[in-house]
This record gives sequence, structure tokens and C-alpha cells, in this order.
Amino acid sequence: MARMEARPKPVLREDWCKGCGRCVEVCARSCIAPGEQVNPGSGLVPISLRLDDCNGCGLCVDACPEPYALVAAGLAGRLAAARPPAPWAPPPEVPAERVPVPERRPLVLKGTHASAVGALLAGCRHFFGYPITPSTEGAELMAKLLPALGGTFLQAASEVATVNHMYGCGGAGRPSMTFTSSPGFSLMLEGISYMIGAEVPGVFVDVMRAGPGLGNIGPEQSDLKLACRGLGHGNTHAPVLAPATPQEMLDFTALAFELAFRYRTPVVVLADGHLGQMTGKVSLPRELARPGLPSWAVPGDAAHRGNLVCSLLLEEAQQERHNLALLEKYARVTAAEQRAELFRCDDAELVLVACNSPARTAKGAVQALRAEGIRAGLFRPQTVWPFPIRHLAPLLGRARAILVVEASDGQLEDELRLALSHAGRAPGEIRHVRRLGGVLPAEGEILAAARSLSAEVRQ
Amino acid sequence: MSALYERFERHDHGRGLKAQATHYCPGCGHGLAQQYLAQAIEKLGVQDRTVAVSPVGCAVLLYYYLDVGNTQAAHGRAPAVALGHKLAHPESVVVSYQGDGDLASIGLTEILHAAQLGIPLTVIFANNAVYGMTGGQLAPTTLLGQQTTTSPRGRGREMGQPLRMAELIAQLEAPVYVERVALYDAKQRVRAAKAIEKALRLQVEGAGFSFVEVLTECPTHLGLSPVEAERWVKERMTPVFPLGVKKDVAATPWGPWPEPSFDPEAVLAAVGAEPLADGAAPARVHALPPAGELGFKLAGAGGDGAQTAALLLVRAAIDAGLDATHIPSYGPESRGGTSYADVRIADGQVLSPDASAPDALVAFNAPSLARFGPAVRPGGLALYDGSVIAAAPALDPSVRLTGLPITGIARELGQPLVKNVVALGALQALTGIFPEERFLSTIREALRKRPALVEVNAEAFRRGARAAREA
Repeated sequence: MARMEARPKPVLREDWCKGCGRCVEVCARSCIAPGEQVNPGSGLVPISLRLDDCNGCGLCVDACPEPYALVAAGLAGRLAAARPPAPWAPPPEVPAERVPVPERRPLVLKGTHASAVGALLAGCRHFFGYPITPSTEGAELMAKLLPALGGTFLQAASEVATVNHMYGCGGAGRPSMTFTSSPGFSLMLEGISYMIGAEVPGVFVDVMRAGPGLGNIGPEQSDLKLACRGLGHGNTHAPVLAPATPQEMLDFTALAFELAFRYRTPVVVLADGHLGQMTGKVSLPRELARPGLPSWAVPGDAAHRGNLVCSLLLEEAQQERHNLALLEKYARVTAAEQRAELFRCDDAELVLVACNSPARTAKGAVQALRAEGIRAGLFRPQTVWPFPIRHLAPLLGRARAILVVEASDGQLEDELRLALSHAGRAPGEIRHVRRLGGVLPAEGEILAAARSLSAEVRQ
Repeated sequence: MSALYERFERHDHGRGLKAQATHYCPGCGHGLAQQYLAQAIEKLGVQDRTVAVSPVGCAVLLYYYLDVGNTQAAHGRAPAVALGHKLAHPESVVVSYQGDGDLASIGLTEILHAAQLGIPLTVIFANNAVYGMTGGQLAPTTLLGQQTTTSPRGRGREMGQPLRMAELIAQLEAPVYVERVALYDAKQRVRAAKAIEKALRLQVEGAGFSFVEVLTECPTHLGLSPVEAERWVKERMTPVFPLGVKKDVAATPWGPWPEPSFDPEAVLAAVGAEPLADGAAPARVHALPPAGELGFKLAGAGGDGAQTAALLLVRAAIDAGLDATHIPSYGPESRGGTSYADVRIADGQVLSPDASAPDALVAFNAPSLARFGPAVRPGGLALYDGSVIAAAPALDPSVRLTGLPITGIARELGQPLVKNVVALGALQALTGIFPEERFLSTIREALRKRPALVEVNAEAFRRGARAAREA
């Protein structure tokens, strides 16, 4: 008969024992009994040990739900000696690289495809998405092109799954994106709030369609308010870019990745159904990006092991500090990232304000108004959050009126009015041309509204 | 030895006893399952590679304890987050740890799709038949008759029946290993620890998706002592949730995983970018006046090729140094409905891209001519397919209404599909917008991968142009 080796007996660390008694039953030698005395440290009643008959079988240790209450002897000494470690120091950031490339022949691409190409040039190799018209061609192009570049395309179970794949991939430090459209964007908002809270980068291209509900697949600027004011619960903001051409679909998607990692944030590229389908000339940038690896990431390696991606802060004071830090970040974004195109605004008395596809029609209208002798200009926000008030403010002295042209119920005008209000600016008259339901403002109706507004303010 | 921190610095900043105590109630099964997980991580030597995804629920604070890369997911979404991590870095070992509300109720979609996707992940599912963190409400795994704060008279049939997740997952094709274990006695605990280790090892080996359901005790919300709770799991839960291996199959290991490429040449080739022709800017050869702009409408039924013709027009314009846009619109049918294309070409930038009052219309059928003919600008062109439109409607007398046997010419060429190129040839001849060679070279380039079609298309273009000149 083999001799049993002498095995270490368990050590009870009384302060950490919650007295659950799960070890009591497992001991064949009745070494363990429910305790009777309250432990002054924990306020609980730990079990009591009498180890005279203990054979060191270890079953009690395996039964203890607390990792450091009933432990093997060697561990007990180490635990007692354990001191708070030095604060966790994540490794240095591996910065993204920019690789110059020679000029290429311009491509002819539709908006969604231009956006997908922009993502690839920006170094995105992970795509997650759920098909929804009119955004799907972007996803289809990614499905076609990513395998050749060693990338990953995953058609998710839903938009809810999509945003959480992005949360994981972004948390692991990789650039990822999705294409979606309004109803799908609604579904992603919970996850976007988590991404903002946990400061996870990712790019959302929302090819907006008419709503509410299922609406239709015609173009509408239906999600301006969601993107600017409603990115899920909590005090959330994220950069929102508004392209107006296939070229900008490429450029802004690439820019979105840069902003996403610069500010550790999701970034929304708001397109509309018209722009998604619009084909045009697209020049390629003269440099490509090779992503780095942020120091805060959780890629599953030794250097980053102490990192945590999390939006949960149980202490109110800590959560408040985190919110204040996010607000400070929003302020930095607001200071640095306002973008707008000004078209014939220098001497404009009448400023049209429009973004996305309606801005192109408005631009045509400005040309026609100028030909009639009306000093009109177009102010086109390229970022709708932050609203580019800094670029608009200098125009307000000369401009006597603003005409907001949009395919929504005033969602852009609300952003404009809020920005003016926060800037303490009282503009002249603000009027609007609004179409809904998949109908875009036509040049004729913009011209009619502009002429009558212009005549009115001249009197 | 295990992959647990020796001090829990995230637990109340490591103050006092909390530095080495969990936040779990006395006797809670989570503490055991998580220790077994930590021991398995240590034993397999994958602590540096492991990423743990915490759920919402009592186990949300897993990251207080596990000394690995940690992330915390929204309620029910842990498997989706885990997949994001795994696909970002396939060499990482990703564990999703979830409770029953998280996994079996709000997150049912995420767990089922992750399981059937089959990519190597390890999911530990703690089933205690009740919602713990929110205070003892009905769970999807609550037993029939079991009282909770939201089933105060016991769970009735009208509240649904308990979901057996291990069985549900096991009947999917992709998972390689599914087992249900318990913690109520020493034997079950040994099995539980082994199952968790095996589930993790299968991921390390790249075998596939594995799932361990652990029946855990929640003494607090069962209103029982920890020892009574162990008995309750054994006597009440296991008849409904039978223990054992539900699935254990060999599978072709996953991998090798794709390695992302950032090689500039590969990227440019993938997106179809080509070098500049001779490095020179394209010649601006066209008939547009300076700052001029033209609008075209190409309209017909699906299959007429209006969109392809529109895109050729746009490409030719861009190759001629102009700006151009195309917007399609379709009927709701997937095939065979209406198909309209708006094209605008500008010397400078196209402003408004729609062509509601086109300078030229190409109508492939009668409804298109009837609909868009009246919109053509005074002095503009309305070209239609005389092979299919017998009688054209009366239009503004200044509009040049031209019917040509577009389909007929294509049929003569033995290739009815080239009628859109016949129409482009005619359009070119009638407007002189570009030199003929500009169009032809665009067509040749578009068909570079199908050289057999080049000649018939070029001929279609020439025949269309000739017919227009002779008309």
C-alpha cells in the first residue's frame, strides 16, 4: 500500500471568512464547525477549525467560495505579506503610421463605396454590420475587399450585436466600422453610449433614410438629432461628420478613424440615402494609414494585461469625475474640430445653411440667386457636432437672414439655434425650407423662399 | 496558484478587508466558478493572453479579481463583445462569463449566434435560477413554482418555462463542447473545475466554441442557508437542468487566422486604384462651355442598361477632366421594374446632382418618354428607342425629339444587351459632348476584364452614332 504523502493543512484567515459553512459538510474528519463568535473585522461569524485530525485532503479549500479565506498554508503567508502594487503603468502607445503613396487616377464611386474605400485606406480591417437599405452596398464592398487584405468581415446577428462587436474590437485597440441606416442606428445607440463611457473608438456610417419607424428608404436627414443629442443614455457626445459628395464620403470616413483614435471615441459619419447612392469622382489621398496600438487597449498580451475597458464606476464621486473628464474631452473636440465649407459667403446678406445632399441643391440655388443679383452664400457644416459656429459667427454681422435648407423637421436648425444661443449671438431672421419622408428640397422651392426672404429683409 | 490578483485593488481601492475579499454574499457559487476559471488560466499558462468579458449582474465585477485583460459588456452582449476581441486578436484567449438573466434572457440572440458561429470562445454560464443583482426577480431559468419577487406566488406556466441553455446550445452544429456542472458537493466541484479547464483548453487549441453551464447557489435570494442552497440545487434544479456532457465532438481546428495587410500596393490594388495615365493630367476635351453644366436623364425598365450607360457617361466625363455625378432610382422591384438615372456633368463642380430638367433624355420605353419628355429643357434633346416606342408624344417644339431603332440595331449585332451602348453612340453624335474616341476608350477600359465583349460594344457605339447622324 502506498504511503500517503503528508499534505499541507488549510489555514483559516478569519477576517476573510464569511462563515457560509460550505466547507463544513465536505470535511470527512469533522475538523470544521460553524463558528460562534462574531469577527470584529468583518462583522461576520467565521467557521472554526480544529485540525488535529486533518489529513490535508484540501476539499475544504476547494469548497470555499472566497478565494482568500480558507487557503493552503503557503499561500496564507504570501497573502498576509501582499502589499499594494505600484500603480498600473500601461505600455507606451504604438503610434499609427502614415505611408505616402503616389497619385492615382481618380475613381468613380458611389457614396457608400467611397466610404468603404476610405475606411480601407485609413487602416480599417474589421467590419461588423447588419444589412439595411440604403447602406448595404458599403458593407457588400467590404465583404468583397477585406479578405484580400487579411481583414475580417462579420455579418452580425443584429445592429445590437454589431455595436458590441465593435466595442470588443475597438477595446482590443483595432479600428472597426459599420454601415447602417436610421432604424439600425437607433438600435446601436445603447452600445454607442457604452463606447463613449468606456472611451472605445469605432466608426459608424449612418446612411440616413426617412422615418419614423420603418419609414422608407428615401433620403432624409432624420438622425441629426440622434447623432448630435441622443447617442444613448448619459452625457454623451461624439464627433458627427456630414459629407456632401462621394469624395467627402471617402475623406470623412478616413478622418473619422483618425478622430476616433485621437479622442478615444465613436465617430458618426452621417450620410443620406441620396448621397449613399450618388456616384461621382473620387480622388485618392496621398497617404495611407497603418494603425498602431493604443496603450489603453486590451489586446490580450502581457504588456496590456492590467488594462480594463469599462463604463461602470460605482462610486458617485468617481462617476462624476469621469463625466467631467468626458465633458472636458467634448470641449477639446469642440475647440479643435469644427469644420465647415463657406461658399460665396464673404459678402453674403442671405446665408443658406445646409448639409449633406440638400447642401448641393442649396449650392446650385446660391449660384442662381447670385445671377439674379441677390447676395447669397452657402454655409455648409461639415461637422454638425460640434456645430461649426466659429466659422459662422463672422458672417453674422453682414448677413441679414439665414435660410436653413434641410430634409428633416428642423433638426439642423435646432443645432444652429443652440449653437447661436450658446455663443450669445442673436441672428437676424431665420427661415427654413424643409422636406420630409424621402423628398429632398428642390432648387425651385429654395429659390422661392430665398427671394422672398431677401426682399423682406431689404425693406 | 491562480490568475486571481493577490490584492483586489479595484475593490474599494483595495481598502481594508476588501483587498482580499470578493463582493459576493456568503456561500455564493460565483466565487467558486471564478476560482476554477482562474486556476484553469494559470494551469494552461495563458494568463497574459486572456481577455475576460464581464457581464451585467452580480458577476459584473469579475475584473476586480481576475488578473487578465478585462472588459465589461452591456447587459447580454458579452458574447458579441468577446467575438470583437477574438477577431481583433485571434491569439488572445477570450472568456465570456455571464449569469442567467444576462445570457438566457436579454442576451439570447448574442449567445446563440456566437455559439453557432463556432469561433473559439469560452463561455461560462452561471445559472442560479434567479436575478441576483437586481434583488431576486424571475429569471429565464427560474423553476416552475419557484417564488421570486416578480413571481410572488411561484412561477406559473403563464410566466414561461425554464430555458435549458446547455441543451439549446448543444443542439447547434458549431459548438465543440457543452457541459452542465454543479457545485453542490466535492465531486461536482471537481467536475466543474475540470469542465472549465477543458472549455478553456479547447479554445487554446483552436478547436472551437465551448460552453459550460454552472448551476450556482444564490442563498440570499433563495432565502436559504448556503448549505440548504447546495441541497436545493441538487434536489430541485438538477431534475430540470440535468448535469453532464451535452456535446463533445472533435472538429477541424480554426486557423490560421488572416494577417491584416497594410502594404500600400496591396491596398491600392484592392480598391481598384490605377496609376495615372502617363502621369499626365487628363486632357480637357469636351464641348461644354466654360463653367457649363449639362444634365442627362436615362430612363427605362430594369435590364435596359440605363444605369450602366449612365456610369459610362460619368466615367467618360471624368476621364475628360470634368466633374460628373450619377444618381440611380429604381422601383421597389428587385428585378424588372423602372430604372432611372440622373447624370450631371460640369466644367468645375457639379452642384445639384439631380437632373429634374435634363438637357438630354434617353428613353428606352414609352412610359419613360411620357414621364420625362415634358421635363426636357427647351432646346434640349429627347432621344428614344423607336424600336419599342411606336408613337412619341408631342413635346415642346424646341425639343429635338429623335427616335432611333436602338433595340433593332442591337439585335442586328446579335447582342440585344448592347442597346444602351447604341444609345450612348447616338447621344454622342447628337450632342458632340466628347470626341468619339473618348467614349470608345472608356468602353474598352470598362470591359478590360471581358475583352470578348469589347468589339461588339464598340461596334454598337459606332452604329448608334451613325444612325443618329443619318437620322
